[in-house]
Amino acid sequence: MHSWSTASLATPRNLVCCAALSLIAGICSAQAGTRLDLLPQSWRDDQGRELKLGDLRGHRVILTMAYASCHYICPMTMDGLQRMQQALDVRGERANIIVVGYDPQNDKPWDWHQYRLSHRLDRDNWHFLSGSAQATEVLARQLGFGFWKYDEHVMHESRAIIFGADGALQTVLGSRTAHWPDVL
Amino acid sequence: MFNQFSFHARAFALGALLGSASLPAVAADSQADELAKIKQELNQSIQMIKALAARVQELEAKQAQAPSASAPAAAAPSIVQGPRPPQPDTARLDAVEQKVTEIETMNATRHTDDTGLPMHGFADMGIGNHNPFHPNEEGTYLNNIDFYLTPQIGGRFLSLFEMNFEVDHAGNFGVDIERGQLGYQFSDAATLWIGRFHTPYGFVNTAMHHGVWINDSLRRPGFLMFEDQGGILPAHTVGAWVTGALRGDGGKVLYDVFYGNGQQIISGYIDMRSGGNDHGKPIYGGRLGYQWTAGAAEGLTVGVHAFESRIDDDQTPEGLTEIKVYGGYAVYDTDTWEHMVEVYFFNNLDVFPSNGVHKSKAYYAQFGYRAPWIVPYVRYERATLDQTDNYFSAQVTGGSYYRSAAGFRYDFNTKAAFKFELANTHYTDRTVGQINEILGDISIRF
Repeated sequence: MHSWSTASLATPRNLVCCAALSLIAGICSAQAGTRLDLLPQSWRDDQGRELKLGDLRGHRVILTMAYASCHYICPMTMDGLQRMQQALDVRGERANIIVVGYDPQNDKPWDWHQYRLSHRLDRDNWHFLSGSAQATEVLARQLGFGFWKYDEHVMHESRAIIFGADGALQTVLGSRTAHWPDVL
Repeated sequence: MFNQFSFHARAFALGALLGSASLPAVAADSQADELAKIKQELNQSIQMIKALAARVQELEAKQAQAPSASAPAAAAPSIVQGPRPPQPDTARLDAVEQKVTEIETMNATRHTDDTGLPMHGFADMGIGNHNPFHPNEEGTYLNNIDFYLTPQIGGRFLSLFEMNFEVDHAGNFGVDIERGQLGYQFSDAATLWIGRFHTPYGFVNTAMHHGVWINDSLRRPGFLMFEDQGGILPAHTVGAWVTGALRGDGGKVLYDVFYGNGQQIISGYIDMRSGGNDHGKPIYGGRLGYQWTAGAAEGLTVGVHAFESRIDDDQTPEGLTEIKVYGGYAVYDTDTWEHMVEVYFFNNLDVFPSNGVHKSKAYYAQFGYRAPWIVPYVRYERATLDQTDNYFSAQVTGGSYYRSAAGFRYDFNTKAAFKFELANTHYTDRTVGQINEILGDISIRF
């Protein structure tokens, strides 16, 4: 299972419309007014260290959700984030990239540590977080990351949210967002 | 007068704002369109209150500059107060906006356990010169609509129900509770399930389940199909199942142990005896595997499985076979590759009529490549089944065969996929012949 086609939608007008619609729908479902410090705060990174999302203010934050054994949507999301990282590097901007696990029962800090090693996502501004099942559900609901589990599979979409340096929700990216770095 | 108007206007506007702010709390789980409409109203309210506040400031400034003109109003016995500096309005607006944010956050974080049961699932249909699940049928087919429900019970208790509306081998439409499980999670390393579950053998049977969308290939190998689709193994068991994973450095030990009702072959198809069997004999077995989660072998899982059961049939006289099945599997599943191999050996004893021990085997190998736009795959499968074994001879689809297949999966988006498969199947004993299949299937998740 892998990518989907947007070729048929690839006229400039359609792309603009899709981007606008996805942005509007995304922000609506992500609860306008949501800020980093109003999200669940207690998480552990892939080293087992505690990390509070509110402490990341001061730089922009790009947040997504994923699960480590996903071979379908998450690789595309990671690819989009890596391209955003490259764009940030070009402009000399530091941002924190947060990946929160959908499936804390299966994806422990150790699993995320292995994930970032095997996927060569070793930048220190990338944080792979695990939390309680409740914190994960609350965060997903607040930010509009709809998901459901089908046994060991997690059904979800490709989605990322950008918070400004002040911690306020800034932009929502989805599978219909043509080129994620353009949103930066 | 102006101040009186401005007070009421502010009160009304603040009320409208708070009222508008509470609306999303009611509609948070409804459609995005409705939410967008509410947001628009909220934004309009904010704009209105800002405009009113600006107007109030303007009027108050004028009043302050012309004290004589405002004297009558000041003398009136009302709640009107003297001119105010603009700062308090700004502060109040900030407070209101903060309150709106808090309300939205409270709304977003509230639990929704009492708002109903989310319904998700899968569906698929297709067209082919043969039905991929019932080869005797040809043309357009509806395969199934599969509803997946996981009611939240709380604590460590779990539940899982999979209701399948499907078309059977005779073309009839039926409903089946494919899985109905209640569980208790002792820890990450052990979960106990009771009910009807997918028998834990090999890989496909507990990885792909009934949602066709989840599988990269159009269908399972023939001998691993579900019972009512012609599979020759007891894909479902009604009983108890303990499963879990023990984590270690670089990998996980996976284990399963199960015990349930011995199945029965009814009208040529295996039935899992959801209400119990008529001989009281069980099926029991287990699976043990290791999954590498780090290092050069990351993505590789290997394992062995074995189970034993007494399975009778509805023939006259009734046949009873003690089946012993064992084998192994290997799966290599990464972002780029999806390879899987499974092998099954049968060592069956015909108890009645007494007909000795029979040995058979079945296996397949499938190799897939996860390209950016498409997932092509090839598969070879073979079942060499002893036709003097009552267990196979009593099954409609118990004949030997081998099949070569090639196909691909193409995803329209994250919820809909098209699958195509070309297959050539040779039947080698009960009936000798071959069929060529051209199959297309559209599957969705919802």
